[in-house]
Amino acid sequence: MESLEALVAHIQGLSGSPEERAHLHGLLKQADGDSLRAHAAALVPFLAQLSPAAHSLGYLYLLEACVTSGANLSEFGGGDFLVTVADFLTSCSTDQIRLAPDKFLNVCRVLKDQVMQLNTPIRGIAPLRVAVRKIQASPEQLTPVHADYLLLCLLAKQYKAGLSVLEDDIFEVDQPKDLFLYCYYGGMIYIGLKKFAKALELLHNAVTAPMSSLNAIAVEAYKKYILVSLIQNGQVPSFPKYTSATAQRNLKNHAQIYVELSTCYGNGRYTELETFIESNAASFQSDNNLGLVKQVLSSMYKRNIQRLTQTYLTLSLEDIARSVQLDTPRDAEMHVLRMIEDGEIHATINQKDGMVSFHEDPEQYKSVEMVDHIDSSIQRLTALSKKLASIDENMACDPAYLLKTGRDRGGRFDYDDFDNAPHKYF
Amino acid sequence: MSAPSDPAASAGQAPAPSSASAASSSSGLTFKLHPLVIVNVSDHYTRVKAQAACSGDGSSSSGAAPGQPPRVFGCVIGVQRGRTVEIFNSFELVLDPISGTLDRAFLEKKQELYKKVFPDFYVLGWYSTGSDVQETDMQIHKALMDVNESPVYLLLNPAINLSQKDLPVTIYESELHVIDGSPQLIFVRSNYTIETVEAERISVDHVAHLKPSDGGSAATQLAAHLTGIHSAIKMLNSRVRVIHQYLVAMQKGDIPLDNSLLRQVSSLVRRLPAMESQKFQDDFLMEYNDTLLMTYLAMFTNCSSTMNELVEKINTSYERPATRRGGRGVFM
Repeated sequence: MESLEALVAHIQGLSGSPEERAHLHGLLKQADGDSLRAHAAALVPFLAQLSPAAHSLGYLYLLEACVTSGANLSEFGGGDFLVTVADFLTSCSTDQIRLAPDKFLNVCRVLKDQVMQLNTPIRGIAPLRVAVRKIQASPEQLTPVHADYLLLCLLAKQYKAGLSVLEDDIFEVDQPKDLFLYCYYGGMIYIGLKKFAKALELLHNAVTAPMSSLNAIAVEAYKKYILVSLIQNGQVPSFPKYTSATAQRNLKNHAQIYVELSTCYGNGRYTELETFIESNAASFQSDNNLGLVKQVLSSMYKRNIQRLTQTYLTLSLEDIARSVQLDTPRDAEMHVLRMIEDGEIHATINQKDGMVSFHEDPEQYKSVEMVDHIDSSIQRLTALSKKLASIDENMACDPAYLLKTGRDRGGRFDYDDFDNAPHKYF
Repeated sequence: MSAPSDPAASAGQAPAPSSASAASSSSGLTFKLHPLVIVNVSDHYTRVKAQAACSGDGSSSSGAAPGQPPRVFGCVIGVQRGRTVEIFNSFELVLDPISGTLDRAFLEKKQELYKKVFPDFYVLGWYSTGSDVQETDMQIHKALMDVNESPVYLLLNPAINLSQKDLPVTIYESELHVIDGSPQLIFVRSNYTIETVEAERISVDHVAHLKPSDGGSAATQLAAHLTGIHSAIKMLNSRVRVIHQYLVAMQKGDIPLDNSLLRQVSSLVRRLPAMESQKFQDDFLMEYNDTLLMTYLAMFTNCSSTMNELVEKINTSYERPATRRGGRGVFM
């Protein structure tokens, strides 16, 4: 095993071109292992000799050896070590670190643990955000760093920082646990930003993801899913057919009070809902969902007012207050005003006689912005459709699928079978 | 297969002065032609031509020079009320290629059959295809005179001439003219109008627009319609571009000024509808958005169905279904 100085010299010398780097990679792999970790303490001064941008690969190996050595990191020059790692993450070169992705992931994981230990999650946000972009092979790939990054954003309450990562659509997933965590944390971030529609999407993904055995993340996600869909839509949809069988059978059992909450909500009586929530406040609190539940309560008013728009064309404020079980017409006016501002209903309040008249959606669809909007939607849909078609073809050639369908037919081939083949082979 | 307007063909048909149709009819009869007849004749001709091409066209049925498209013959039937002759329908006849005479027995039988279905109609004349009247036609015409004392002769020119705007159908009558001192029967051209009833128009339209391969489902018809519009717009666009380039060149001075052309262009431009009004913009955008929404909806449906199939596949491969209603039930 080469001495550390020789290794460092190699790193400095061989970080120029891709072939040299491949050679260097081979050398590093040889040198890697427990022996390197044993020298962890000695590595730190060497790290100073290397530049993270130019010698990313070597730096990564040494750094990873340091962080996984199990020694207390605060020994390494105190809090400065975090700075070193953060620095590395921000300035490393993308192609070099892609040669050793698992080491990179380890480093990120350690950073996150460290930051959480020190109770300063906000320090980890900037470096991890850069790390996410660097390790992704394409913007559609999900990495474990996503989940860590979102967790830090949640703990630091920096919800907007999480948005940049959440905006990309994910199409490739390696580890199911990553997906569950990503969807769950992402949903929570959107809830924090009050973007309930997007939160619903992500939580829906978490609930309907394929799972062979029930996991806790899905159960928690399901509880929040019920609450968010009550706030957003006023009802909880039944499981779509692509939900896994395990989820369909078991999720409801674990979230019993939430299901009861949704039935109570469906009855539409504010006071009943209030009493139900108060009686079960303890269990909601233990799930950390009490804030969300209170939002469900306040959304009850909105739901009832929206139901009124479907029956009446004009209504006085007193009638609204009475049917929605608000105390005074003033409250009703405030609620209606807020809903108009949020765009949830279309109405005008006539203050002179206290009447509210409900309108149809005033969108005339005759503006150029609408053209652009629809056009971009169509483009996105075309791209998605192509992706779906290719996945569908891949599935048709999948051996598990062919086995299942072949077995049922008992090996006989009738003419119907030939229709299932993808048409491009004809 | 040689083109119908081949020089050999035109050389083969020497214009016979005695059957020349330079004169126009003076009988004062008005002819009304139904489009069904035209479609029938063209269909007959196309069929025979295709069959001749298929079977190696060694011999053509009419005995014309090899390489010529075959001539087809048939009868036209209709009603004559006073001075109006209305030709409703037609049927095919068998012509004996050697003697050049019609098969009488066949004609009688066909006539009888048609009489049963259309008691009012009777044989008004006959039809044939070709670019011009021929010598032999007069004999056939005379032969038919015992069925109808003054038959009409309908000639369809199957040559496809894209620049021609009228129908390539001519109606000839026979008149006794004094030529070179002796009275002779010659063909004279008559005018005619196209007359149709609503039902006939719809069906002829339908037949005329059918694509041979798909048989006119709604989707192909829509596609054909839109393709037609698209090519029309493309042509308009290229023409406008030509004019634009011309004007630019003229402005630069490459081409000498031509005032008359400029006047024409300016009058053309002034004829364009005013598109600057707000109402036009609103209506246009609304309609545009509607079409986009329909496309969006179609794409959505397409995508959903793909998604559905994908989900089925995933479910069958990786899930243990909760209930199985007999072996094949789940997979259908």
